[in-house]
Amino acid sequence: MIEGLLNLLFFPGMAFQVICALSFEWLDRKLLALFQRRVGPPWYQPLADMIKLFSKEDLLPKGVNDRVAGLLPIVSLASVLTAGLYIPVAGFSPSAFEGDLIVILFLMSVPTLAYYLAGILSIGIYSVLGGGRSLLQYFSYEVPFLIALSGPAIMAGSWSIEGIIRSQYLLGPFIIYQPLGFILAIVGLIGKLKRDPLDIPSASSEVVGGSLTEYTGTKLALWHLAMNVQAVVGIFLLINLFLGWTKLANPIVAVIVFVFECLILAAVLSATSAVFARLRIDQLAGMGWRILVPLALAQLAMIILMGV
Amino acid sequence: MAKISIPIGPQHPLLKEPLSMKVDISGEKVYGASLRLGYVHRGIERLAQQRNYVQNVHLIERICGICSHIHTTTYCHAVESLLKIEVPLRAHYLRALMCELERIHSHLLWLGILAKHVGLETIFMYTWHDRELALDIMEEITGGRVLHAANQIGGVRFDLDKDHIAMIHRTVDKLHNKLDRLLDVIENEPTLIARTRGVAPVSTELIKKYCVVGPVARASNVDVDMRRDNPLPPYDQLSFSVVTFQEGDALARTRVRAYEIRESIYLCEQILEDIPDGPVSTRVPRKVPEGEVIIRSEAPRGELFYYVRSDGTDKPARLKIRTPTLAALCLLPVQMSEIQVADIPVVLAGVDLCVACADR
Repeated sequence: MIEGLLNLLFFPGMAFQVICALSFEWLDRKLLALFQRRVGPPWYQPLADMIKLFSKEDLLPKGVNDRVAGLLPIVSLASVLTAGLYIPVAGFSPSAFEGDLIVILFLMSVPTLAYYLAGILSIGIYSVLGGGRSLLQYFSYEVPFLIALSGPAIMAGSWSIEGIIRSQYLLGPFIIYQPLGFILAIVGLIGKLKRDPLDIPSASSEVVGGSLTEYTGTKLALWHLAMNVQAVVGIFLLINLFLGWTKLANPIVAVIVFVFECLILAAVLSATSAVFARLRIDQLAGMGWRILVPLALAQLAMIILMGV
Repeated sequence: MAKISIPIGPQHPLLKEPLSMKVDISGEKVYGASLRLGYVHRGIERLAQQRNYVQNVHLIERICGICSHIHTTTYCHAVESLLKIEVPLRAHYLRALMCELERIHSHLLWLGILAKHVGLETIFMYTWHDRELALDIMEEITGGRVLHAANQIGGVRFDLDKDHIAMIHRTVDKLHNKLDRLLDVIENEPTLIARTRGVAPVSTELIKKYCVVGPVARASNVDVDMRRDNPLPPYDQLSFSVVTFQEGDALARTRVRAYEIRESIYLCEQILEDIPDGPVSTRVPRKVPEGEVIIRSEAPRGELFYYVRSDGTDKPARLKIRTPTLAALCLLPVQMSEIQVADIPVVLAGVDLCVACADR
């Protein structure tokens, strides 16, 4: 009972996830700044931003359902935090069960749907546009993302992350067998997180702030936190599925390797957002269905043939 | 999907200056747009009639923060030709040097804005950083980064010494290297090309019909450049080529401006090479004899038109300014059809609006 509560609230639950999310945001902003020849924020900036947003007046336009608008960021945050609870961190996973990968994938889609609802329910015209775009984007990246992530599961013959990691102890990290799948998963993750260059739903020069244009104060802070926790959960998930070979004799070494891998992936995400221009929604849909899906299917076919 | 109309401006993250546009869209398709102007109208032409010719130099410098120097240069040319005085050639060269530096920094600023609009913020940071080099030169020689107060009627208010010339040579070389890297990005970055190629192409006929000038016209293969077609001194003694492209789309506009920066860098080097010795200004009378004059010059955004009429007093009877942005603004709603919502920023950036110039 007490152990369960500790898992829920501290590790690998809420407190751990939030700290990771804030660190990720800082790392991302700092790296992006360095890529762009700027100085970048100090380490406490994400926390300071959040505290400041919490203290701001909470305004919504007239006619917006206050309860639903307040519920959506909480639902997103709760679902990504729950997903984070089931993801092994450096091999440590207290709540693993068979099929948890599917639950995590479902929970990670919830923020996108909540984001869409937030846009559609809002009165603002930019929010409606941003919401519609987020759904269009969802249909473009989600299919290749899911196919790419099912690769490790099929190879390991298990839909639990624990099982996938265990099978990597024998076979070596799956990135060796599925480099293409790993790249597709990163592209899908960028689309899921609505990060530059796939920040189409929240492109500031087109739709101001996307679905979140009318959000302020605490609700906006919760949205930002949900996005960052989602990023952290996504990074942990990808590392576990493709680079989960952390069964080393020394647990401290295992933790260091895991953290190192996560930092590398975070740096890759930052670099991608620094060097590419934002795509148009039709270009993304074309890329998703004409390039990413066939590639993902080819990867899947290769895995199945290898298994035979 | 139902047609809706989205407001762009007067306040929008897209705009750096106030301008109001209503864009009719349906889903992600844009059908048309209407424009409202006048948010930065300051009545400069009327104010100019109430001040004397010398005071007006400083008033006119404040029309625009980007092309402040070309405005005063054109105005001074106009008044000088009314006065029928001979301005020292060295002053003309110094004015041209400032004009070219201004073109460099204006185009670099524009490239940054385009990059930001397509979500390539890294290039925005890099171009604005490189633009500082041009501003550094201007600050070094005139004392001002944005408002230079370099011109006076009858000449300029600054002179170059050996250290200045060495510093400009050094900085221009650096700028040249940075520009080569930037051109590499423009020609090769796949996402940037994907976002700009084929976006809202404008035909040569349409450009001529709307009397559009400057880089926008040159990107649609209209070969106009006031520096060559109707040169003010010293451009008649300098050699340079006018950059034109065929396509008329956003990519062609980007390339026209990028290659124009290179031409301007060559011009700067040429000016430093050829600059004659001598005084930089002459004394001029306060009162201007009766008459009227039209002067046209090439601002960073195209042809700048000044009309000055004098009634023999020390104040102009009429001062009319036509800025290149005005024609581009008329073309803007025409381009806002059959494009996507995501192309709106690219089209808006492509015409390189200077709303402060257009509204005055």
